[in-house]
Amino acid sequence: MSDDIRRVTGTILRAPLTLRTVRELLYCGFGGLAGAIGFLITVAMLALGLTISVSVLGTVIGLLLLTLALRVSRRLGGLHRRLAWWLLRYRVEPPPKFQPGSGILNRLDRRLRDRAAWRAVSYSLIKLPVAFVQVYTITAAVIGLIDITYPIDWMLFWHNPTGPAHPIVAFNPFSFGGNFEIYGWPGTFLAVILGAASVLAATWLARAINAGDRRLVRALLGPRSMAERVSELERTRSLAVEDSAAALRRVERDLHDGAQMRLAALAMNLGMAREKLDADDEATVRELIDAAHRNAVDALADLRDLARGIHPPALDNGLPSALATLAASSAIPASVTADIEPRPAPAIETIAYFCAAELIANATKHSYANQITINILTERSGILRLEVTDDGIGGADATRGSGLTGLAQRVSTVDGHLEVSSPPGGPTMVTVKLPLKA
Amino acid sequence: MRVVIAEDAALLREGLTRLLEDRGHTVCAAVTDGDLLLAAVAEHKPDVAVVDIRMPPTHTDEGLRAALQLRRDFPGTGVLMFSQYIETSYSAQLLEGGAAGVGYLLKDRVANVAEFAAALERVAGGGTALDPEVVSQLFRASRQRGGLATLTPRERQVLALMAEGRSNSAIAAELVVSGGAVEKHVASIFTKLGLPPDESDNRRVLAVLHYLGSPA
Repeated sequence: MSDDIRRVTGTILRAPLTLRTVRELLYCGFGGLAGAIGFLITVAMLALGLTISVSVLGTVIGLLLLTLALRVSRRLGGLHRRLAWWLLRYRVEPPPKFQPGSGILNRLDRRLRDRAAWRAVSYSLIKLPVAFVQVYTITAAVIGLIDITYPIDWMLFWHNPTGPAHPIVAFNPFSFGGNFEIYGWPGTFLAVILGAASVLAATWLARAINAGDRRLVRALLGPRSMAERVSELERTRSLAVEDSAAALRRVERDLHDGAQMRLAALAMNLGMAREKLDADDEATVRELIDAAHRNAVDALADLRDLARGIHPPALDNGLPSALATLAASSAIPASVTADIEPRPAPAIETIAYFCAAELIANATKHSYANQITINILTERSGILRLEVTDDGIGGADATRGSGLTGLAQRVSTVDGHLEVSSPPGGPTMVTVKLPLKA
Repeated sequence: MRVVIAEDAALLREGLTRLLEDRGHTVCAAVTDGDLLLAAVAEHKPDVAVVDIRMPPTHTDEGLRAALQLRRDFPGTGVLMFSQYIETSYSAQLLEGGAAGVGYLLKDRVANVAEFAAALERVAGGGTALDPEVVSQLFRASRQRGGLATLTPRERQVLALMAEGRSNSAIAAELVVSGGAVEKHVASIFTKLGLPPDESDNRRVLAVLHYLGSPA
């Protein structure tokens, strides 16, 4: 029993000396500050937006201001999430990206219904008391540290045989007793005790308030509530269904216009040749058989391309070798670096492969690049990351109905993300992140 | 025989043209979509038009729509729909206006040049040429299963060939039997199914298709 007490006491007393405490206190400082400022910005914009939109004339401006507030809240949420990761090593995935609709009204409507943004707003509002405690905690810690240095300070700066002209003040962060006045060197040890108590209290207060804050961050700035997740899944499911239906249509079309047509022509050539055999017209027969032969060869090539388009055989040996094959056939010189372990699920490999193929094709068509770099690796967090970079002219835009939109949709069907960085003048870098399992 | 071809795949368009010209027919025009087909038929007044179903711009059923319009606007021109697949609803629409001068064949049939040419000549002459696939779909969908069940397997074969639009002599050649044997089968079929005997091939096709439940 007494061992337990000793251990617990030891833990409590040693806590201020740990790296974790430094992180927690830093989080109190930065997080608290960001929270307070975020609160002010959010409240100001919301209040202004709501007030203006109530007045008849200002509705449009008010609504715009409101959507702006929602966007800012999302950004602030991102900042808080990042602070939690940098300082507390507490990871919360971002909510799904905002999906703008087409047309101004649709866009506005979606903005106003953006649940993730509204949750970020509520975080900003709830954060105020939390931020207050956090700022108080970091203040107590700093004051405590200052108090602890008093004996040294006394020796260095305030040493005076007759004593200081004025009493030295030791700050007391606690709400009772007020600040101490110190008249001599021994008195500074009282300040040390007060400081140590402050630091200890701040340490545990920081842990407590940050634990609460972490919960808020997860609940309000995290990926999604169940309802959001459901609507996201509904959206991506319909994309997946449309995508596979479109793929089947493409296959049918390719068969119809390719191999089927060539085989019909082949049958026709052979049919005519057979008739000519009876007529003993060798030259024509030879010509018809040549044509039939050409059609057979072309039909084989068509079927091979089609089969490869459905499932590239190189994928059976893993993504690196499939991507190497792909890069080797690229019109623009392309290099591949791959570091994927463990091996992703086959469906993920297929999606990654077709993303790479499409991105290389895009770069070939639009970028005027001299070099394409394909980089694929498994991140420690269990994310497959594909980067396709070219040194071309840039200006690629995923939001305008391009091939990139289609890719982003396909990727989202397995909860993946696609990011495009393509400033005018280049370079273009497209990053695709996929889970390892579909 | 004067022919207009509408087919968007160059390979088949040229192949058909050559095949028909080889056999002494005249290909007045070989075009690539429905609108051009209507214009070409209006200009050349051919005996028959060979029409691919899937053509630009939408690559769905523009050939069928052009064929239906040809049937309305140029009753004297036979229409042979020529496609890589058989759609029951397409054959039903095509046969709605009667079976005279109408054909619907799979592109595969062109492998047998003589038969294909014979089918086209039949359509040009106001006859019918339905693909065996179309006929077997009609058999499967027919409400007259009871009547069909009374036929012998041989009689069913003969009925199917009649539905394709073939003449007695063609049926005899196909089944490698004498013309007299075919006539006997035909008479037996008509008796069993309660159809009025008819000497003319065209009217016979109509009766058979009607019996099978096709709108014709």
